[in-house]
Amino acid sequence: MPRLSAARRHTAAFTLNGRVVEGEAEPRMLLSDFLRHVIGATGTHVGCEHGVCGACTVQIDGEPSRSCLTLALQADGADIRTVEGLAPAPDRLSVLQESFRTHFGLQCGFCTPGILMSLDALFSRAPDATEQQIREQLSGHLCRCTGYAPIMRAALAAAEQLRRESGHA
Amino acid sequence: MSTDQITGEGIGARVLRKEDDRHLHGRGCFVADIALAGTQEVAFLRSPVAHARILGRTKPVGREGTIFFAADLCDVAPITTRSSIPGYKLSEYPVLATDKVRFVGEPIAMAIAPTRAEAEDLIEEIEIEFEELPPVVSAEAGRAADRPLVHEQWGDNLFLETFFDSGIDEVAAQASVRVELDVSCARQTMHPMEGKGALAHWDYRAGQLVIHTSTQVPHLIRAGLAECLKIPQAIVRVSPPDVGGGFGYKCLLQPEEIAVAWLAYTLRTPFRWTEDRREHLVAGANARQHHYKIRAYADSQGRLLALDSEVMVDAGAYSVWPFTACLEAAQIGGNLPGPYHLPAYRCRTYSVATNKPPFAPYRGVARPGVCFAMELTIDAIAREVGREAWEVRRDNLVAASAMPYTNITKKHYDSGDYPEALIAAKDMIGLDRLRAGERRDARGRYLGVGFASYTEQSAHGTKVFAAWGLPFVPGFDQAHVKLTPDGALEIKAGIHTIGQGLETTLAQIAHEMTGVPFRDIRVTLGDTATTPFSTGAYASRGIVMSGGAVSRASSVVAERIKRIAAHLMQVRADAITFANGRIYAGQASLSYAEIGNAWYLRPEQLPEEVNTGGLEATEAYKPSVDTGLFSYATHASVVAVDAETGLVEVLDYVIVEDCGKMVNPMIVEGQTFGGAAQGIGTALFEESPYDENGQPLASTLLDYILPGPAELPRFRIAHRETLSPYSAHGIKGVGEGGAIAPPAAIVNAINDALKPLGVLIQDVPASPHRIRAAIVSAGSRSAASNNQQGAAS
Repeated sequence: MPRLSAARRHTAAFTLNGRVVEGEAEPRMLLSDFLRHVIGATGTHVGCEHGVCGACTVQIDGEPSRSCLTLALQADGADIRTVEGLAPAPDRLSVLQESFRTHFGLQCGFCTPGILMSLDALFSRAPDATEQQIREQLSGHLCRCTGYAPIMRAALAAAEQLRRESGHA
Repeated sequence: MSTDQITGEGIGARVLRKEDDRHLHGRGCFVADIALAGTQEVAFLRSPVAHARILGRTKPVGREGTIFFAADLCDVAPITTRSSIPGYKLSEYPVLATDKVRFVGEPIAMAIAPTRAEAEDLIEEIEIEFEELPPVVSAEAGRAADRPLVHEQWGDNLFLETFFDSGIDEVAAQASVRVELDVSCARQTMHPMEGKGALAHWDYRAGQLVIHTSTQVPHLIRAGLAECLKIPQAIVRVSPPDVGGGFGYKCLLQPEEIAVAWLAYTLRTPFRWTEDRREHLVAGANARQHHYKIRAYADSQGRLLALDSEVMVDAGAYSVWPFTACLEAAQIGGNLPGPYHLPAYRCRTYSVATNKPPFAPYRGVARPGVCFAMELTIDAIAREVGREAWEVRRDNLVAASAMPYTNITKKHYDSGDYPEALIAAKDMIGLDRLRAGERRDARGRYLGVGFASYTEQSAHGTKVFAAWGLPFVPGFDQAHVKLTPDGALEIKAGIHTIGQGLETTLAQIAHEMTGVPFRDIRVTLGDTATTPFSTGAYASRGIVMSGGAVSRASSVVAERIKRIAAHLMQVRADAITFANGRIYAGQASLSYAEIGNAWYLRPEQLPEEVNTGGLEATEAYKPSVDTGLFSYATHASVVAVDAETGLVEVLDYVIVEDCGKMVNPMIVEGQTFGGAAQGIGTALFEESPYDENGQPLASTLLDYILPGPAELPRFRIAHRETLSPYSAHGIKGVGEGGAIAPPAAIVNAINDALKPLGVLIQDVPASPHRIRAAIVSAGSRSAASNNQQGAAS
């Protein structure tokens, strides 16, 4: 990685939900702040800024990652997906999103984007994810509204439907 | 009302939520998401010490205009929360510290910059000179003879002392059973996943200070801000965006909120502060820390005869606005008797000022602590008389035949069958099977079962609050309902949505009353510029109060719809019914759009004597009593305790609850499970300890453990639906109840499990180190008594 001057701004360019975006960032700027304040993609939420709560989770090259523990300039050249990229169209929801709605997997909605990105990454990698795997994936997230059981139900139902749709069942 | 024809979307239906779509798309809009050109971000310099005099403060040269001290805000009043309770002492909570700091995290200065990072850089350059003072780090220390004074002019550290005595001595003297308990709950912070935040700007067109703040009580914040800024409420607009959880924390008027509003009012450009997690952990409002000394008297069967109690609340440095440092103690005194028939009662409370962040009501207010103390007492009595705890509980609960029942502290329990809920919980948890089984599982862990019963006073109103003399007294809640020209329905109410689903449930109520399809109902909440007054979302009141107001306004509009429809179809108004999203008279029908069209655009179609209020109405509502509608429940849990590690696993958790008519059972369950999850945090994990210097020891989410998916059981729930005789549709509130019982239900289960070891836990959180310490201490007690016996023989 090139040596960057702390006092200067540098360009970060990456693919965000399939479109190329670009902006200027100081080396210390977090990816979460870059997405939210430079690009204007505010769907990714910041809950703790120390990597515990999981609200800021995005996918970097397919891997769920804490955008509050990633520097914006580290994401240069990467392929990034955020919650805004999950739905097939603005007036439609993905299978996972729809399942959260059906199973009341959200209340205030603040932690939801991170949880969706984590589960979406899991289901792309492991379409036949078990309940145990889903629980482990969720263990990186905090929610203060639901008590998690509805989130588990939503995740299990989404996994089931995704399996059916892809013919894995 | 045409309940029979309207099914599937009205009161009682499991309707999916209107709120979800935007959040699932990542298109919710929280304070930190608002993009307003030219916004500057605000960072606060916070006190690094718990108690000190400020001797000097210096701004970095050349940056003076971007940094603000108390002296710069000389026209701002401190947060001063009045109460008419005799003996209550006022505190002045400055927006930025003046002569002294009184807790670690107290704001001393603020800096403004285009980004938060740059504002934090500026904060680093400020110099403050302190003369440190000895801190008060516990309620006990605050009452000691050699105590330092948090507020010198008081002469002591007591916000308030209360005393209630029905006369217990005679009864106590004759009681055959006496138990004593020393019970405490740790200090907690509340942790909505979105922290507090506020963005303020001057709206030149409206001539108003606009504040987008993450709040549960927008109309109250308008009043509080105007008071502190000394400006008319007419030029203050509070416009709350999406709020990512509240739990009581977002009822407060905060110094940071006032500071941001002052900046925008003074400099006429936009400013924002967004609380970060560390700020919430060390400087956000604290909660829950009670210490109870209890002496209970009973007969030989365990029937309660009298309760004597002394309670201390570690109330922190300042009274919060609007609830004061004393609401907690007032509720302790009033609620400790719980759902039981208690003939005699004495309670003394002390609300003690300490060098910690201010104390605020958190989901359930005092009830989780009160329930913990009372339910441990019931179990202690049961042990003393050698009966099962649930039986002693059943014998003491207020019977259904006694309803409505006014208890010794004048709580008026309106309806329900408390013992039935307990017995149902006992059967659901499978007590008989558990008692017949092994006391230890295959891994050697000790198994136990525990119960907790409680009432949840919801939507208590005018007379109750008037007795406390707080800055506001809730009266009628208002709502506005309007049929649009194309036949949709708009609802506006001053309460706010914080995750509890009011956009959905209020629409269900309006649908029930008007028949307008659920999908055609839009709900706008909280903005003081567009909604009628409500004191807001707290005290489990939203669905009762705003729901009642929406019900009333909807029925007025429904009546007017019927009058116009009757005229258009040439039938009598009482022949009109609503069904399938249309308006019927026999076989003939009209759409709502035809009614809207007639009123707004084709007035020649209207009857001569048409109501000139049109197709909109603002109505006000409060229940027919001010004493509240009492929801109630029994929780039961089964735990496994590992005696080697002190780890507790909750194996099963059952809730039998009654919140009257459920507008949306799905949302009732969501509220209950979410509350219970927080209660399990209180029971097992969450703790914000302070060291002897008043330094907070939990400053990250690695120190402060919030329950995650692996720590929580799958709750099982059963509903009862006893309608309240006093509220619209028989609804009672349910927002807080889930959080009340878990500490008691779980610790009673732990104590049941560890009974063979002679261990008694009386403090939460029942963390591994507390349980291990209790096991070790019980072991050495038992060894000592064995030695004594050995020596004697």
